Amino acid sequence: MAVRRFTACVSAAVLVWAGVSAAARADTIDEKAAVCSSCHGEKGVPTDKNIPIIWGQQEGYLYLQLRDFKKGARKNEIMNGIAESLEKDDMKELAAYFAAKPWPNLNQASASDADVLQAKTANSAVGCSACHLDRFQGTGTVPRLSGQSHDYLAKTLAEFRSGERANNPGMTSLAQATPEPDLKAMEAYLAGL
Amino acid sequence: MKNLVTALLCSAALGLPAVQAQEIKSASRYGDLSTVSQDMLNRAASDSQNFLQTNGDYNQQRYYPNRQINTTNVSKLRPAWIFQTEVKESLETSPIVVNGTMFVTTSFSQVYALNARTGEELWHYVPKMGPITTFCCGPNNRGVAVSDNMVYLGTLDSQLVALDARSGKVMWKTEIADPEEGYSETMAPTVVDNKVLIGTNGGEYGIRGFMKAFDAKTGKLIWTFNTVPENSVGVWAEKDATGKDLHRDIAAEKATLAAMLQPTAADQKQKSGAADSAAKVVPVVDKPGATPSTSAAPAPKAAQFYKTLGGGIWQNPAVDLETRRIYFVVGNPSPDLDGSQRPGDNLYTDSLVSLDLDTGKYVCHLQYIPHDVWDFDAVSPPVITKVADKDGKPIKGVLHAGKTGYVYVHDAKDCSLVRYSEPMVPQENMWTLPTKEGARMLPGANGGVEWSPLATDPNRGLAYAINLHQPMTYQVQNSPYPDGKLWLGGAFKVIPSEEQWGNITAVDYNTGKIRWQVKTAQPMIGGILATAGGLIFAGEGNGLFKAYDSESGSPLWSFQAGAGVNAPPSSYSVEGKQYIVVGAGGNTQLDYKRGNSIIAFTVD
Repeated sequence: MAVRRFTACVSAAVLVWAGVSAAARADTIDEKAAVCSSCHGEKGVPTDKNIPIIWGQQEGYLYLQLRDFKKGARKNEIMNGIAESLEKDDMKELAAYFAAKPWPNLNQASASDADVLQAKTANSAVGCSACHLDRFQGTGTVPRLSGQSHDYLAKTLAEFRSGERANNPGMTSLAQATPEPDLKAMEAYLAGL
Repeated sequence: MKNLVTALLCSAALGLPAVQAQEIKSASRYGDLSTVSQDMLNRAASDSQNFLQTNGDYNQQRYYPNRQINTTNVSKLRPAWIFQTEVKESLETSPIVVNGTMFVTTSFSQVYALNARTGEELWHYVPKMGPITTFCCGPNNRGVAVSDNMVYLGTLDSQLVALDARSGKVMWKTEIADPEEGYSETMAPTVVDNKVLIGTNGGEYGIRGFMKAFDAKTGKLIWTFNTVPENSVGVWAEKDATGKDLHRDIAAEKATLAAMLQPTAADQKQKSGAADSAAKVVPVVDKPGATPSTSAAPAPKAAQFYKTLGGGIWQNPAVDLETRRIYFVVGNPSPDLDGSQRPGDNLYTDSLVSLDLDTGKYVCHLQYIPHDVWDFDAVSPPVITKVADKDGKPIKGVLHAGKTGYVYVHDAKDCSLVRYSEPMVPQENMWTLPTKEGARMLPGANGGVEWSPLATDPNRGLAYAINLHQPMTYQVQNSPYPDGKLWLGGAFKVIPSEEQWGNITAVDYNTGKIRWQVKTAQPMIGGILATAGGLIFAGEGNGLFKAYDSESGSPLWSFQAGAGVNAPPSSYSVEGKQYIVVGAGGNTQLDYKRGNSIIAFTVD
C-alpha cells in the first residue's frame, strides 16, 4: 500500500516538475513549491511515511540538502532530478519558503519509558543533542528531528549507518558507533516528541 | 570620584577638550555607559570597578583585584538580581561591565545590555543571521568586547558586528568568512589599539583557520594570519611536547605526501605552462615555523589539504602590551580523528602561537601534539604572567591548560616549554591510535581542560583549572570533506558504564606541582574566577555555583542556580558594592540542564 502511494507521488512529481521546468524562470515561489507538495504534502504532511516533513524544517538544512541533491552528493532519483535545474537562488528561496511554514503534527505515539531511557543513554554517549539541541529542534544547517516521520528517521539512520547516504559522514560515524537497538529506541523517542 | 579621574585621564590621553570630559563624567553613573578608552583597557587588571575584558585583562589572568567580598563574608553572598534572557540554551558568556552597564550574550549570538545594579534590561540585540549557521558544540557565544563607545560581537553566521554601546544599534558589520564553508563564530573578540582581533570556529569542519585583525572604527580588514601555512609538514615529530610517543607511522605519512605531490592528469592540465615541478611547489621544510615558499603554480589538488586542515581558534588571544605580541592557542586539525588525509605535523594546529600585534607576522610557536588524531586541541585561553624559569629566575611566561590535563608553562620570549604540571586528571593509554572499532584512552576528547579559561592568583603563583574526567573510545573512519558539514573522520564515544567526574585543580606554575584538588560530581566546563578576596568561583553542570578558599580549596559558599552553571564568572562594583555575576544556562556539549539566567550576587 505504502509502495503504491509512493509510486503515485513519484509520477505526480515527475509530471508536475516537467510542467514547472517548461514554465522556466517565470514561476512564483508558490508555483515552484507546488512540485514539492505532491510528495511532501499540501499541508506539510508527507504522502508517504518514508518521505520527510519539510514544512517548518530548518532553512539552512533544506538549502544544503537541495545543494547536495543537485551535486549528487546525496542520492535520490526524484530529488536529484528536481534539484538538477535549480539555481542557488531557487534553492535558497525554496528553503526559506518551507522553513517559514508551520511544522505539521503527525500524531505519532510517544515512546515507551524504556525507549526514552535507552535513547537518552545513547544520546549521552555520542551527543546527538550537541548539534540537534536540547529538544531536537535543530538550528541553521542542523535539522529538526523532533516529531519527524518515524519511518523516515529509521530509513535515514539505516542509510547513514550503511553509508548509502553519504553526504554527512559525521552522521555515518555516529550511527555506526551506536548499537542498532539504541538507534531503534532513538527513532521511537524522536518521532514521539 | 574614580570615574572623574578616569575620565580626565582618558580625555587627556585623547587630547579632548575639557567640555568633553564633563560629558563623560555626567555619563558615568550606573546604567549609563561612558567611553572605554585604551588606557582603561590597558589598566583593566587593577580596575576594581569594571570588568572590561573577557578574561579580566589583556594578560587574561582572571584575577579580580577587589577584596570586598572575601573569605570572611562570602557565606553571606546572596542573589542581588536574576535576569532571564529570552534564550533558553547553553550560556558561555563572560559578562563585561563598564561603569554600571553589563553586556552579556546568549546562544544564537544575541546581546543584552543590563543595568548592573538592578538587572534591568537596557537593550537587546538579535542579529538577523543568514540561513547557514554551523557549530560543533552548541550555538554558543562567549561574549562581547568593548572599546570606545562600541560593543563588538562575532556571530554564528561568521559576521563581525559593531554595536553602539548606548543603544545596541548596528554601527557596522562585516563578513569574517563564508559560513557555507563551515566558518562560524562563538568566541568573544579582543580589542586593542583600534584593532578587533578574532579567530574562527570550524575545526570540526574542513576550514582553514585564522586570526584576523579588523579596524575597530570601520570594520576594514587589517591583517590575516592563517593558522595553517601552505606547508604544514613540520619536523615529522614522533613525540608530543612532553616526550610521549605519538605512535605515528612516519614512513606511511611521507609516502602519502609523496603521492599527493604527484600531479594528476587534471593538475597537469590546469597548470600547463608552469615550469615548476610539484615537488618544488610544496617543499618539505625541516624546521617548524619556517616560512612556506610560494610559487605561481598551485600544488596538485591532493596536496592542497591545508585548505581544509582546520586549526580554529576558540578563545581570545592574550596581549603583551610591552612587546606588542599576542599569544593564542590553535585548535585541532581536520578531520579530527582521521590523519590519513593530512600527512605531517599539521602546523600550527594544537599549538601556542605568538604574532606581532601590529602586522600579524609570526613570532614563535610550540606545538603540543603534532599530527593529532584525538581532537586534543588547544582551546583554553593562554595567560601571560611572571613565572620561574628552570633556574628559578623570574621571566615573563605564558600558561595554557591542555585537554591532556597538563598546565603548560612557556617562556614568552620564544614560546619554548619551561615545564608542565603534574597531570590533573587520569591519563591512560596515551597515545593509542583510534581504530575502526574504537580504542579507549584517557583523557576523553573534551579534556582535561576544555575551552574553560584558567584563573590565576599571581601573589600565590597558582593557576586554577577546571577539569573533566570522561572516559571515551576513539573511532576512525575515512571520508572526504562533505562541504560545510561536520567532518570528524570518525567518532568519540563516552563509555556509558564508566564513572565520570570533574575537579578544580590549583597548580603551582613555578614548580608544576598540584597544590590542591577538589573533586566535583560531574565533569566541569565553563571557567573560573579568582579574586583578591582570597576566593575562587566556579559553577557545575548540576546547577551548583560555589566559592572556595583559593589558598586551600575549602568550599565556603554554594548556590543552586536551577540550570547548569557552565560560564566564566565576572566581578564588578557599583556604588561601592562588589558583585559576582555568572550565567546559568547549562551546556549543549555536555548536555547539562539548560536555563536562561544571568545571576548577580552581592554580600547582604
